[in-house]
Amino acid sequence: MKKPRIGVFKFTSCDGCQLSILNLEEQLLGILEVFDVAYFREVSDKPLAGHFDIAVIEGSISTDRQVEEIIDVRERSTFMISIGACATCGGVQALKNWASAAEYKRSVYPSPEVIETLATSDPISEHVHVDYELWGCPPDNSAILKTLTSFLLGRRPPVPTYALCMECKQKGIPCILVSQSEPCLGPITKAGCGVLCPSLDRPCYGCFGPKEGANIDSLFTVFKQFGYSQNECMQMIDKMNTYAYRKEKYKAASPT
Amino acid sequence: MKKRIRIDYLSRVEGEGGLLVEIKDGGISRLNVSIFESPRFFESFLRGRPHQDIIDFTARICGICPVAYQMSSAHAVEKIFGVDVDPQIRLLRRLFYTGEWIESHALHIYLLQGPDFYGAESAWTKSEYLPLAKKGLHFKKIGNDLLSVLGGRPIHPVSVRTGGFFGVPKKKSLTALIDDLEKAYEESLHAIRWAAGLPFGGIERDMEYVSLRHPEEYPMNEGRVVSNRGLDMTMEEFFGALREHQVERSTALHSAVQRNTTMTPYLVGPLARFNLNFEMLPPEVKSIIRETGTLVPLHNTGMGIIARSAELSFAFHEAVRLIRDYEEPAKAFVEYSPRSGTATWITEAPRGMLIHRYELDDNGYVKACTLIPPTSQNLGHMEKDIHAFLQKNLEKPADYLKRECEKIIRSYDPCISCSVHVLVLKRN
Repeated sequence: MKKPRIGVFKFTSCDGCQLSILNLEEQLLGILEVFDVAYFREVSDKPLAGHFDIAVIEGSISTDRQVEEIIDVRERSTFMISIGACATCGGVQALKNWASAAEYKRSVYPSPEVIETLATSDPISEHVHVDYELWGCPPDNSAILKTLTSFLLGRRPPVPTYALCMECKQKGIPCILVSQSEPCLGPITKAGCGVLCPSLDRPCYGCFGPKEGANIDSLFTVFKQFGYSQNECMQMIDKMNTYAYRKEKYKAASPT
Repeated sequence: MKKRIRIDYLSRVEGEGGLLVEIKDGGISRLNVSIFESPRFFESFLRGRPHQDIIDFTARICGICPVAYQMSSAHAVEKIFGVDVDPQIRLLRRLFYTGEWIESHALHIYLLQGPDFYGAESAWTKSEYLPLAKKGLHFKKIGNDLLSVLGGRPIHPVSVRTGGFFGVPKKKSLTALIDDLEKAYEESLHAIRWAAGLPFGGIERDMEYVSLRHPEEYPMNEGRVVSNRGLDMTMEEFFGALREHQVERSTALHSAVQRNTTMTPYLVGPLARFNLNFEMLPPEVKSIIRETGTLVPLHNTGMGIIARSAELSFAFHEAVRLIRDYEEPAKAFVEYSPRSGTATWITEAPRGMLIHRYELDDNGYVKACTLIPPTSQNLGHMEKDIHAFLQKNLEKPADYLKRECEKIIRSYDPCISCSVHVLVLKRN
């Protein structure tokens, strides 16, 4: 069997998701045995050429050039997988979607007129069809491995879509929302991180994005009983997955 | 004679950048290290956020050195609030940093720069290079294992907070790592000899090296800012002397130290740290460096891989020492009350000084901030190095020059994603 050709592409991001792939370390060499890693600029000089069986995308779309590039990558690829908060929902830089980009530029650069940027930071799926999305800031690297091997086997990747609370219960960690009145995003957030924060007695801050059908307003009602203002509640979801949480929030709020 | 060297996308570097050079009438008429990584406006959206968000947000600037961002920001905020951390917390933070130095240096030495010395396009394309790739991945894994014990995960760890950590590790989960760290230390000593024996091109230049210096240890989280040209300042004083300026036709804010009216570009990173703090390295590391005939200070930025390899050994050695000294503190963090103020803090990220400055209000919310990553401080010298190299080799074929320029840039281990406030110019 010919090795499937895989390409790893970066858009606006921190490089952390590509690094998650490299952090597979000893398993990385196994990946190289079953896949032809044909494009991965962070670690290889191989120029962009030909068709890809799988394109793995890190980063959000935030310039005109990137809009053209993602369309080109889509046309060259059979399957497209976006990984990480930036690619799946615009990332932390999508906070600019709620502010004036012009004002942002002025505050950082002495000559803002030379900066080229779109007004928004978009998920990949807003520009092209995406076949599979792997959430997390960063995604768990074993989930990346499972996703790639599932492709070889023609299966759906076994990545959880339920709330973090499920994982927390499985691990027998006392609920910090209920027992300590801490503003934990666990009930509205996808599982998958391995319950890193609650294990440290820290409330979940939403690295893995909203689970489908998350009842955000209801959780906010609880937070407000703890004494948090509406603004503070919004700041809790306005982080790496701001765009996705807000979408979920307003979807639930609007009449169907 | 007219020549044009154009690299659209640099490879084996973090982030997106390119190079454009024009050679005309025996001279260089244009030279730009161009950076087209899209800006992410961290300094803007931090405004109005609570102080814990600084630690979690700035980590997202760089997937390779999130700990550096967490360290510089935690220290700056603690300085404003007047927080003194427990000595064991101080120890854990230093240990945290060794994990990141290991992971980042191993990546650059073995996966990014190393292949250049073997004419390989990546760490896995040539079978003769594979053992080195495996060694690098193995070193990197040990750094990541340490980061996972301390922070839950190596990329964007979740444990750091103002005043300390959300939770501290058990002594035994750290001592479990000692065996691997010690073996890696031994292996890494051999690797210094390998690095020192690589065929170096490039050019020696006289530069101002700048790093932190601490009286008792190789610098990471604390110290004064010093240089080989007499600079010796507090972090706040250095921030005051630092000038960021936009360079004509170039793409980033360049940094320079201002003395009276002159602006001097300077170099940060492993080479600068190594040159300025060589005496603080473990005795074995120093003697191996001397045995290889390497002259310290190093004046060729291409030899950064030697400094990085020495620091990699140091980090393994230091991690073992710190784990042995560690005693679980009674509390993972100290209590504090937010208050208003402004502070600068600098820590030594794997790639050099990472400067953070925050202004907070009475409730500890961000009013203003400035973040200056190491790569943007090094851009001035990066362009000078390329210029000096080209000046001596103008007659060589463009393809050769292009390859060599790319190697020079890579030897800096630039982190373009990091360059938070880097300008983006329209590409031709």
